[in-house]
Amino acid sequence: MSSKMVYLQPIAVRIWHWLNALGIVTLCISGAQIRFPEYVTILGSYRSAIMLHNTAGIVVALSFSIWFFYYKIVANTLDDIYIPKGSDLTTGLFRQVVFYFFSYFFGAPNPHHATPENKFNPLQKSAYLAIMFVLMPFVSLTGILLMNMGPMREIVMLVGGLTLLDTIHFLTACSLCAFIFTHVYLATLGSTPMAYIKPMWTGWEKVENHHDAENSLVDRSQAEHSH
Amino acid sequence: MSRTYLNLKGGFAVKHGYRSLLTKQSIVMVLFSVSCIAAGDQARAADYSFGDGTGKNEACIACHGNQTKVISQNYIDPKKFGHTTHAKFGCTTCHDTITSDHPAVKPGARTTSCGDCHGDTVSQYSASIHAKNAPCSGCHNPHRVNSSREIAATEMNKQCAACHSNIKITASHAKWLPQTELHLGAIACVTCHSKAENYVISIYIAKRESTGPDTKPTLLTYEELLKYSNGDNLQYLIDKNRDNYISLDELRKFNRDPSNKNIYLKAMMTPVKPTHSFQTFDNRWDCTFCHGSGPEIMQTSFLSFPEQNGTFRQVAIEKGASMDALRAIPNFYLMGSTRNGVLNGIGLLIIAGGMVMPVGHGFLRFLTRKNRK
Ligand code: HEM
Repeated sequence: MSSKMVYLQPIAVRIWHWLNALGIVTLCISGAQIRFPEYVTILGSYRSAIMLHNTAGIVVALSFSIWFFYYKIVANTLDDIYIPKGSDLTTGLFRQVVFYFFSYFFGAPNPHHATPENKFNPLQKSAYLAIMFVLMPFVSLTGILLMNMGPMREIVMLVGGLTLLDTIHFLTACSLCAFIFTHVYLATLGSTPMAYIKPMWTGWEKVENHHDAENSLVDRSQAEHSH
Repeated sequence: MSRTYLNLKGGFAVKHGYRSLLTKQSIVMVLFSVSCIAAGDQARAADYSFGDGTGKNEACIACHGNQTKVISQNYIDPKKFGHTTHAKFGCTTCHDTITSDHPAVKPGARTTSCGDCHGDTVSQYSASIHAKNAPCSGCHNPHRVNSSREIAATEMNKQCAACHSNIKITASHAKWLPQTELHLGAIACVTCHSKAENYVISIYIAKRESTGPDTKPTLLTYEELLKYSNGDNLQYLIDKNRDNYISLDELRKFNRDPSNKNIYLKAMMTPVKPTHSFQTFDNRWDCTFCHGSGPEIMQTSFLSFPEQNGTFRQVAIEKGASMDALRAIPNFYLMGSTRNGVLNGIGLLIIAGGMVMPVGHGFLRFLTRKNRK
């Protein structure tokens, strides 16, 4: 069987992704200590947990801007890649669910093939859309407000007070934490456990069939132009 | 010398010498009465009765409670003084060298001092590094002293700010304390800088001001609040069912009431009983002293209403639910301690939901691994 390499993950996306992953994991751990200081003491003093949480929060917010800037301005592929389209919603979601929860166990191949311009299967699209456009903005904005309670007091009161902000921050953070477990697990569902993870690190994915070889080559040169 | 202690229940425990004190007073009284007869038309201390109970200080207050009769540093605000425990003992208990010739003859130096009654406090205070910088009167005016629960935390902090400039306080705390201004605005100084052990959440009605962070919240005065209550007892502004007890529901209603849009409930952490051992205690550098205390420790909160005489009166808030009381106050949050059990449960469920795929799917994946060879 012939195989070739496709440049799937541009450098900006990879930098964002791993900074973000490290940041979110750090935030989950330090956040747990901040909320449950009697039970979680892994980072030493409460103060260091707060300092780390604030720093990681800023890193995540900045790397989110890299992500947005790259997809929206540099590559201008954000809408295409992240927003599910007609067929994704009518048949695509269903097909992908059947694959994950049924045919996968019988050895059927993934019905979706990642290409640079259509990277995600319909389920991924919906999940990533919710993560990147709902959870991430909510958790970051509430975090920024909580971090600047003093100067931003009026805005805080306007949106319903500190307690509500904290509730949103906590619940979205728990959702992101839940996402990590699911996401990391699904990332190991490729032909080998590292098959999806490696491209996220190197940028290149090994593709077995070649029905869209032309497209990939074009996209590869585009991707390289863009940074 | 007599030693009188204010005991915890608010009554007086007299150790010894109370009898001799009364005797001494009676002698002065007799002297005053005698000179009263001999006196001319000029108002004299001796013109007034020095009887026990209510009328006790009238003689002195007749002049000293009147700004037109005495110079400002000798003026005693009758309302404020009348409220103090000191007033119950009478002026001459402390001003023991006053004679019936007053005001013609100025009294000699007093032979009494605060320690005569407050011996334990004075020895505790003398041991603190603060003692060499300020005498008792540096903070306490004996003519308007209040018990700690009668004064607002903001007032306590003003005492400190009289010497310690706010700018310096903020700067020195900012070196280590995150959210410095927020902390300083929500905690009485003595919460950390005295060896107090139990804390309550004291809630005040403050002005909502658009300028700056609320490092120094401005509380509404009695008169200002009267406008909100239309002259009614201020307590009923919140205690709608008038049962001398504030439920969480009443707090929420107060917050939601649109006519309260310019005022808000300001919660501060205050010690139940501040001590006079002023210094910085080592365990206060550790944030978990408060933030790790868990929702169990601080169970008590009070709403403090201003009174006409400048003091505050506490009304209990739904017991055992202080942290929930804080949730009814949209802008007070004590990280690590105000967390809410229901919310934690929901969070846990969400995270457990994230485990469904790795655990459930992973299990089936393992069982069917041969199909994918
Ligand atoms: C902690 C370990 C993590 C691992 C091992 C991991 C792994 C991966 C892998 C293999 C991909 C490429 C496959 C795909 O596009 O679905 C990916 C993409 C992605 N991951 Fe993660 N991830 C991690 C954490 C996170 C976190 C914390 C977030 C967000 C909160 C996140 C959000 C995303 C998004 C949005 C994509 C799509 C990126 C794009 O191509 O535009 N990941 N991740």
